[in-house]
Amino acid sequence: MTLVWGGLALGAIYALVAIGYNIVYLSAKTFNFAHAQLLMLGVFVTYTCLMEWRLPWLLVIVLAAAAVAVVAAIENLVAVRPVKDVHNILVTTLGASTFLDGTVSLIWGNQPLAVSFPLGGNAIDLLGGRVYPIEPILILLVIVIVLADFWISRRFLVGLALRAMSEDPEAAQLRGVNIRAMAFGAFVAAGALAGAAAVFVGPKTFAVSTLGDSLALKGFVALAIGGFGSMPGALVGGAAVGLVEILAARYLGGEYSNPMIFVMLLTVFIIRPAGLFVHSSERTV
Amino acid sequence: MKRRQLIKAAATFATAATLSTTALISTGFAADDVFRVVVLGGLSAKGILADNSSTSVLAAQAGAEIVNKNGGIGGKKVVVEVLDDQANPTVAVTKLREAINSSSKPDAVLNSGPSTIAEATLPIINQAGILSFNIGPTKTSWDAAKFPLNFDLSPAPANYASGFLDYIKVKGYKSVGIIHGNSAYGEALGTLMEKTVSEGGVTVTAKEGYDYSALDMTPQLDKIKSTNPEALIVDGYGSVVGYVLQGIQKLGWDIPLLGDNSIAATGLISKTPPDGVLGTDAVKNLVMQVFSSTKYDPDATGVNEAVATMKSLGPIKASLILAYNYDALALMAAAAEAAGSTDAKAMAAALETDAVTTAAKTEILKKYNFSKESHAANPSNDSFAFIAPSELKDGQYQ
Repeated sequence: MTLVWGGLALGAIYALVAIGYNIVYLSAKTFNFAHAQLLMLGVFVTYTCLMEWRLPWLLVIVLAAAAVAVVAAIENLVAVRPVKDVHNILVTTLGASTFLDGTVSLIWGNQPLAVSFPLGGNAIDLLGGRVYPIEPILILLVIVIVLADFWISRRFLVGLALRAMSEDPEAAQLRGVNIRAMAFGAFVAAGALAGAAAVFVGPKTFAVSTLGDSLALKGFVALAIGGFGSMPGALVGGAAVGLVEILAARYLGGEYSNPMIFVMLLTVFIIRPAGLFVHSSERTV
Repeated sequence: MKRRQLIKAAATFATAATLSTTALISTGFAADDVFRVVVLGGLSAKGILADNSSTSVLAAQAGAEIVNKNGGIGGKKVVVEVLDDQANPTVAVTKLREAINSSSKPDAVLNSGPSTIAEATLPIINQAGILSFNIGPTKTSWDAAKFPLNFDLSPAPANYASGFLDYIKVKGYKSVGIIHGNSAYGEALGTLMEKTVSEGGVTVTAKEGYDYSALDMTPQLDKIKSTNPEALIVDGYGSVVGYVLQGIQKLGWDIPLLGDNSIAATGLISKTPPDGVLGTDAVKNLVMQVFSSTKYDPDATGVNEAVATMKSLGPIKASLILAYNYDALALMAAAAEAAGSTDAKAMAAALETDAVTTAAKTEILKKYNFSKESHAANPSNDSFAFIAPSELKDGQYQ
């Protein structure tokens, strides 16, 4: 059970990255390949606020969300908005990720930095396994985020507008949705969410300048397994990637972790090409 | 107008030439007597590699300063040129080719690692007939038949493994587990460690690898734990060290941890909380294999001079384990003196003799044991020490 908890906690982190990818995808039909780096930036902001400035934990969540939201807004204005072709955005956001990697290294250095968690850093027994307190919290957090998305997208105008945009941007625009402003808002909101979530990620991963690279690819695999645009899919995809990674390492060997993840991805694509939670639609042309 | 610009350019050139000649003469070197050393280092690489490269470069610069104070290499002033290869073999090859084809071809090249850089650049250096020193050993970089002008400064995995075996026997452990990274070095170390330790009569209960991008090592540790070893040999650097320590604590595993020198190069274990884990239960069972020079000793005047010189040139960001390049300069000075020449082949032949490596004022490793057949560092086991983590100050554990 220790390994299952570990896999689910790891999967929760991948799911957080996948959710960030999804928010941008739903609003702009493209991906922000720098999202994992935004999460990494949030972890470093958390380190500074929490470990160096000794600020209260709740305030750190607000500050990390605000700081990463500002960086996401700048990224959008510099690397997304001026680009006309959505396909090129993949390249420019990849460039932004490299820029963020370098900036983080310059500011915080290259050594890993420990980030604490208010509930402590000692392992505890939980339902037949050993976990660090942050691990079940991470799992809970990602479930709450997905439920909150479900609620917001059905009960609030902004959520309904986002859903409308994702289904048919032109129709949404005709109904009065400012799709340009909405896309920008979604991009910034994804950044804010990454910043806030980073406060929970740091205690498990440390603040390290290679974190973005470690999360980017597996976050994308989690997204692909669940289906592009599906929040529950991101949750399940993340959990699947985390569990397969951990269990393959335990029972097959560490060198089999990544191959097994991609075997799973291929299997899902063969059975359900659009991902587990997305139905592909057909229309007569 | 053109004439004016020409006169201006000529005047600038003449001033620069005069100034540089004056500078050389004032240090006791003739203007044309320059020994050019190119240092390849991944200064803008990602992660911990950048700090390691910075220390390697600093060590070369400090070594040059000390050697120049003592008359240079073969009477020539050493000039160090640093090429930032970003720890990327393609960049390293491009920049090295530019340097070799320039008007000031280097007399020596120092590879600051990792081994992928050496793999890509050694054939080029060899073809150009340039003397080289390498801190990222590859499978063949030590082979004098293949690379007659290259000398490995970093001990080979077999040397480290031999040092581990000595320590394991002293401690009386009958069985060990091994966890190592999937880098070329990690794989080689894991394999050689298993072979050396097994041949030494110690049972290896399990050997597990991990991916450097992984964020949790608990599965591998759990698998090794199930085989009940008496001690665990750990290879890893950077955040991986943190994940291994996290995993061991999570499993509630109370086992002696024997870390290799890459663990000693990780800042996390030399800093007290909140920045690191020094002084916590996470490292209470950890000892690390380092060079004797990596532990501060007030009586080690040579090492202390090296550290002071490095410090005067810039901050020492990583452990002194990465400062082999300091020794490269001392080795070249001794080789040139013995050979009576700065010819690469003559210097290489001199370095293969025990008299030269004994005379060389090396400090990071006291003695390199190159031979006609093997250009591996081959230090004796007493070059290594096993120490508990402590504060790292100016590249040395206190």
